[in-house]
Amino acid sequence: MGGVPTRSIVRAGLIGGAIAVFVALVGLYTKFADLALVGEQITLGRLLIIAPALVAAYAVTRPRIVAGERRSVPFGPGVVVGVMTGLVGGALFAAAVAFADWFGVDRIREVFVAVTEQLIAFLTFDKGVPGGLPELIGFCVVGGAIGGFARTAPEAVRRPASAGVLAVILFGLLQRIIPIVFVQLGFEADWLYDRGAGLTWFGGLIVFVVAAAANALWNRDGGRTRERVRRNVEQAPAAKVGLFVAILAILTIVPLLLGTVISEVLGSVMIYVLLGLGLNIVVGYAGLLDLGYVAFFAFGAYTTGLLTGAFLNTTTGAATPALSADLNFYVAVWIVALLAAGVGLLIGAPVLRLRGDYLAIVTLGLGEIVSVMTASKWAQPLIGGPQGMRGVTKAEVFGLNFQDNPQHFYYLALAFVLLAAFVSWRLSTSRIGRAWNAMREDEQVADAMGVSTTKFKLLAFALGGAIGSMGGALFAVSIGSLTPASFEITVSITALAVVIIGGLGSIPGVLVGALVLIGLPGLLREFEEYRPLIYGGALVAIMILRPQGLIPNVRRSRELEEEEVSQDVWARDAKGEAEAVAAVLPGGSLGVEREDLE
Amino acid sequence: MSTPKHLLELTDVAKHFGGLYALSGLSFHVDPGEIVSVIGPNGAGKSTMFNVVTGLYGPDDGSIRFRGANVVGLAPNQVTKLGIARTFQTVHLFPNMTILENAMVGQHCRTRSGVFGSVFRLPGTRREEQRIRERARESLGFFGSRLAGYREEQPASALSYANRRRLEMARALATDPLLVMLDEPTAGMNPRETLELRDHIVRMRDELGLTVLVIEHDMRVVKGVSDRVIALDYGRKIAEGSYDEVANDPQVIEAYLGTKAAG
Repeated sequence: MGGVPTRSIVRAGLIGGAIAVFVALVGLYTKFADLALVGEQITLGRLLIIAPALVAAYAVTRPRIVAGERRSVPFGPGVVVGVMTGLVGGALFAAAVAFADWFGVDRIREVFVAVTEQLIAFLTFDKGVPGGLPELIGFCVVGGAIGGFARTAPEAVRRPASAGVLAVILFGLLQRIIPIVFVQLGFEADWLYDRGAGLTWFGGLIVFVVAAAANALWNRDGGRTRERVRRNVEQAPAAKVGLFVAILAILTIVPLLLGTVISEVLGSVMIYVLLGLGLNIVVGYAGLLDLGYVAFFAFGAYTTGLLTGAFLNTTTGAATPALSADLNFYVAVWIVALLAAGVGLLIGAPVLRLRGDYLAIVTLGLGEIVSVMTASKWAQPLIGGPQGMRGVTKAEVFGLNFQDNPQHFYYLALAFVLLAAFVSWRLSTSRIGRAWNAMREDEQVADAMGVSTTKFKLLAFALGGAIGSMGGALFAVSIGSLTPASFEITVSITALAVVIIGGLGSIPGVLVGALVLIGLPGLLREFEEYRPLIYGGALVAIMILRPQGLIPNVRRSRELEEEEVSQDVWARDAKGEAEAVAAVLPGGSLGVEREDLE
Repeated sequence: MSTPKHLLELTDVAKHFGGLYALSGLSFHVDPGEIVSVIGPNGAGKSTMFNVVTGLYGPDDGSIRFRGANVVGLAPNQVTKLGIARTFQTVHLFPNMTILENAMVGQHCRTRSGVFGSVFRLPGTRREEQRIRERARESLGFFGSRLAGYREEQPASALSYANRRRLEMARALATDPLLVMLDEPTAGMNPRETLELRDHIVRMRDELGLTVLVIEHDMRVVKGVSDRVIALDYGRKIAEGSYDEVANDPQVIEAYLGTKAAG
């Protein structure tokens, strides 16, 4: 069908159905059954019914490589394939629902607590089994059709349509935030949002049309506009400064416009931007995969506490730590950064000879050691063990309170982020950045060309550590009390995800990555318990759809493309088509030649 | 210490990988201003010798001296800093860095800007960066217009095969070496490019005043450039002398063609 093998359709449909069953078992349907996005009809729960089939259909109608040629699925058959995928998936889903109903919801609930009568009722649209099952299958078929449409419809249609739909969903999800913003800005929001029931139909339509139109305009002129801006920025330093000032102005004014709730979220976004910038030096610039970055975060936070006179929580009240000072935050933070650079050297030194996977595993272990130590009895006299410490400085200056006022804290964090971004940028465009680059591309050759890999690895660990510890210091100031629960492996993983999703080696990428990974979930409190699920999904999606990250570093994306090209070459070579390779890559590909140094 | 006579001197160098003796009892020297070719069949230990000299491997025995100073035990970047630059048998560029950046990396060991200077772009750092750029352009310019102009800003992976080889040599030249070690520089080049490269090797000595140690299979190149030829087989030196002497040496003929031909 349209070049898609029947087997693939059935398989994709079954996977889609299985995903739907999974979503039901983890309780997403029951939780979001009544979260209306547009009007009262389009709820997130219903969207989640069609989503698995949509994704499956989108995946199965991808262009395929047949006999070395890339073949897209045509529009009409694409939608038909989507419908069939949805039919298969819906059948599986419906069968599962029927089974649950027959087997007994209560017996299943002993294992899967989310399976309830309400779930069955929701999935059968209150018509029960079997009355509601055709409707369930129908929803899946619609999902499949949309998936096929989203992949195979003409570019000029599917892009604006997708943008519009995504915008509507986003506005629907942010129904508690956006009205606040509107009110803060002095606009009416009643036409857009129906209180407690998502967007109004009219509002949804407006959002859809505006987003679709913007996307269509961008598709027509975006490339040219971007090119023009880029050229202007490159040629006229004034334009560069102007662009920078504009971004800075937006960053400065945002919390004033958006109020305290969003400012609080933005504050934690900024902490992760700082962590991301630090980790970006280690992973993005120097190419050293560090999975234990939480070590610096914890070190920065606790050391800030110790240096600014925080005290330990005990069962009887408070105690002074074994080592303690009472410094001003603005003095202490530099000491913290300096000490953290030292810790970076300590962590870097034993792992100098390790590469890739081995380095990742060892740093993972080192991070875990620090994480365990924060909770240990052994370190209790110093940092409070499981009870932690409280009374970290509020870093007050000019009457600003950085602990209790999220808007104020945002500015403190912004200042540090700007500093770290500036340092990162200057380093990346210097002799040092060049050395890191060379080292990342080929460590042995960089060494042979005179780059001391020892020195520059240690430098990356030290600088990355110093910036990461500032993230910790800010975190300590923002919440005032520290407990081991804040310093677990999830911090390392989140920081790494921020860097990867934003684009390795890209400073704006870190900002965008943090906004997506920390900002969105922070605004969507309903999703809090599904955060790891969302992270996992987002990472997988990024790796498949945009492996270079959202805002890629130019050079990095080249690397990935090249890998793909050399993979293709390798695949063809295996078939003994050496001539075809020569035709594809005039002069041969570096990728295929790269064996280890002889 | 008196000024050493030889620029590079290997004495009884041995290197084995498990039971395989890649090099055993290898001694030879290179004098300033010479072009010395190393020949030998595949697996004779030529590239291993390069790797041992440049610090990629440590030798198991013997001494290696450069300008009289011991280089055994130094890291590759330290050897480079002493003044030995090399190319690789299979091209090893930094494929995603631009051509200019590739050459600029070569200048790394001759410069010293640190974190502080880079972050604040101190005048000294700016001047140094400018010098790095000029020096890199200069070494790219050694190959005429092939690596210059608009190509400077292209990624190295966009270059043709022959130009990649040239860029690798330019990068080596940018380290301001005294001794350049070229590992099969003409491998994979067509006859015209090979001839051109032969001239380049000679110019490295005549115009840049460098000493060149080159591993080469193309006997026309070996004949055309060499002051001296060293033949290796099974990790040992089997002949040394002028091209004609080595080319007519029965052991060398045997190594290349087998006993019957030599007989």
